[in-house]
Amino acid sequence: MADSQNTVLSAHGLSVEYADDSPTLADINIDLKAGEIVGLTGGSGSGKSTLAYALLALTRHSARITGGRVEFGNRDLLALSDIELEQIRGRDIALIVQNPRSALHPMYQVGQQISRVYQTHGGSRGAMAQQRAIEMLRLVGINDPERRADAFVHELSGGMAQRVLIALALSTNPKILIADEPTSGLDVTVQAQFLDTMWETSRKTGTAMMLVTQEPGILANYCDRVIELDAGRVIKDVSASEFVYGSILQSTDSPVSDQNACQVGEPLVMVEGLRKTFPLRGTKKVVQAVDDVSLSLFKGESVGLVGESGSGKSTVGRCLLKLLESDAGKITFDGQDLTDATGESLRQLRRRIQIVQQDPYDSFDPRWTIEQSLRDPIEIHNIVPIADAKTAIEDSLNRVSVELSTLARRPKDVSAGVLQRIAIARALLTKPDFLVLDEPTSMLAPQGRHIILDVLKQLRTDLDLSYLLISHDLTSVASACDRVVVMYLGQVVEVGPTSDIFSKPAHPYTKALIGAHLEESPQTRRVDKSDRLDLEGEIPSPIDLPVGCYLATRCLQAKGACHTERQELEKLNSHHDVRCMRASEIELDEAS
Amino acid sequence: MSDQGYQTEGTGLGVLAWIGVSIVSFAVFLAMFSPWIIPYDPTQATENVSMPPPPLSAWPSLFWQTIVDGAPVPHWFGTDASGLDVFSRTIEATRTDLIIALSANIVSIIIGVSLGVISGYYKNLWTETLLRTSDLLQSFPVFITAMILVALAGRSWVNIVLAMSLLYAPIYLRLTRSEVLALRERGFIESARSLGKTEFAIARQHIFPNAIGSSLIQFSVTIGFAILLTAGLSFVGAGVRPPTPEWGSMIATGATQLVLGDWWPSLFPGIAISVTVFGFAICGHVLEKRYGR
Repeated sequence: MADSQNTVLSAHGLSVEYADDSPTLADINIDLKAGEIVGLTGGSGSGKSTLAYALLALTRHSARITGGRVEFGNRDLLALSDIELEQIRGRDIALIVQNPRSALHPMYQVGQQISRVYQTHGGSRGAMAQQRAIEMLRLVGINDPERRADAFVHELSGGMAQRVLIALALSTNPKILIADEPTSGLDVTVQAQFLDTMWETSRKTGTAMMLVTQEPGILANYCDRVIELDAGRVIKDVSASEFVYGSILQSTDSPVSDQNACQVGEPLVMVEGLRKTFPLRGTKKVVQAVDDVSLSLFKGESVGLVGESGSGKSTVGRCLLKLLESDAGKITFDGQDLTDATGESLRQLRRRIQIVQQDPYDSFDPRWTIEQSLRDPIEIHNIVPIADAKTAIEDSLNRVSVELSTLARRPKDVSAGVLQRIAIARALLTKPDFLVLDEPTSMLAPQGRHIILDVLKQLRTDLDLSYLLISHDLTSVASACDRVVVMYLGQVVEVGPTSDIFSKPAHPYTKALIGAHLEESPQTRRVDKSDRLDLEGEIPSPIDLPVGCYLATRCLQAKGACHTERQELEKLNSHHDVRCMRASEIELDEAS
Repeated sequence: MSDQGYQTEGTGLGVLAWIGVSIVSFAVFLAMFSPWIIPYDPTQATENVSMPPPPLSAWPSLFWQTIVDGAPVPHWFGTDASGLDVFSRTIEATRTDLIIALSANIVSIIIGVSLGVISGYYKNLWTETLLRTSDLLQSFPVFITAMILVALAGRSWVNIVLAMSLLYAPIYLRLTRSEVLALRERGFIESARSLGKTEFAIARQHIFPNAIGSSLIQFSVTIGFAILLTAGLSFVGAGVRPPTPEWGSMIATGATQLVLGDWWPSLFPGIAISVTVFGFAICGHVLEKRYGR
């Protein structure tokens, strides 16, 4: 490995300073070899992105490169003039940024944008360049690239825009590709598709890649080497198989514990035939967000509601609290009809059902201190005498293991992970029977995610709390749920006990979701598997839904009737339902 | 991570803030203490008619003589055609203009913000009518409308304040309403609702305090406009009645003398207007940079 022949880019003593006291990079020494995929990781604020930019001799506003060299070939990038750099950037070193939609020009067709970059860096012109663009789009796995090349950014989904960006970056055959958190904001199945493409492209073209990410799953599955930063210093530079993933998180993925499915008597929450549509402005069309959803939840039970963005899972959660009015269907809570409740009775019911939202910073009044926000539920419902409020607040914080010193702070001064735990504490202050958690972990770094799930598991044992955990990542929530409900395009496609869902998933979509999860272990790399259970393309628009099975357009198993007949949720056994007419057939196919 | 390196406290803002605050506080100081500062009765003519101000070079010695020797106070800014002391009137006018501008803004911010919260919260025939009315008010040229309103209602300062409030309230209404509309979608409003808080409590505790910020920033800017409008109205003869000292009317009376070469009766109130409006504008700018979105 020590042959310097292969090294395409190396940094020596690279230092970056910020005008304020933001993270400073000090004395960074790293190198990048041809055809290698390097993961650059570290906690937020560790200087990952700053380093990725500095390798291109770029800095963010107020930052300054104060020393060191970045050697590319025999040249020091930091010593070059802007004009010389312009020739190297884009041609030899390409960058993929976080938000693909804002990185593409809104007024040019994407094919044209790719061919322009190609032309600028000495590629051929005109029809040849356009051909090149289409070729690149095909290479990154875009269906029908001839047509997509004429699309504008707003006509593409996030995943597709991200792929256009990688096509653009690769069009000049760069030697190095730097990607700054390229999959943040993408759904799990799309993320897996995208990373597969990147990995394959790197192997095909020999491009060296640097992936900036916090996700241990991505590091373990796609990287050859991992560099970890902490407070602006390299603390680890090891091969991916040697990297200890526990250093960025404590892996707590214990197998699903007790299956004491206490499904006795009446369910605590019962949803029957829930429907919700949103009218589309300016048209007569509607968005079908929730399409005939039924589910039940027993006391002390925890249910995971899983699906990609646009599957309607959050809408279900908000209908349960009557934060949204449902169009049809019935929701009962502890025997009381929630759909008809208004005024005082609704207020009383709401005390018993609480919600934890996705974005912790958005769920607290920015002007209030944490203490004020936590005092609020106590005062609204007179849970305890005012004199005891302080104790109650402190108890609730202890329960989610948050330090009491945060009480005096305002939300913006608290980290996302801690604030999300405080949001849980606030929800618990009304002593609810049922908690809806709407993607409580999706805005958090991996560490914070695990802590939240641990807290939830603890609460379940301590308080016998029932909750509905809404998430887009099946595997990560599995450990905190007894049962899992999988949703796709507003429909429930599979319901079953967590162990069943994982050991024998019946619906192709569930299989894809499980397959798309990136295990945090380099031994079972996704890229090494021959058959990746996959879906094609992306979730269709909920405005013009397919006639037959909603998944048919993406499903590799779809056959004739799947495209024409509406699917019904059918019993596989006493507690496992699936909405796929071919479920048993597929199982037989796979078995043979 | 993405908003890292984006600084809100620029280095230039500090100096600018200083200038703005100094100007505004100086104006407020003059308005509050003008009776103790001015040497002559601003509405009482002296026997010196159209007397030019003493040359700047003579000011220190004149100042010395006044304080130490007890000589009669000179007309620092000269006198106008009626023999009124321009210095005393310019300072006394700070009081007139600031009071009118301030009261007009206070009235309009109260009306505008409360209607803004209501119209952001409820969408019905009444609030729609309200919004269209405010659109209508904003579609007329401010100056002409104010002139007509004052002409119809009579030239008293109360009427000027009311006319200006009517014109400025839509600004605050629009601003507050758009804030409220955005706030309503925020997660903490939903949280409060699911905690069982009543809609009124949500509006009072969360919506209102978070929505008022931009209106307070606007307040500083609009005061500047209001001063200009007050002066403008008096200039065309639709403002406060002379001899009440007021910058606009001073410029107007001085303007007739301008052709004769008497520059001083209009120049000093002119400078006073520009500096004051500038001061308020800077304050608004600084507030916006620091607390605005």
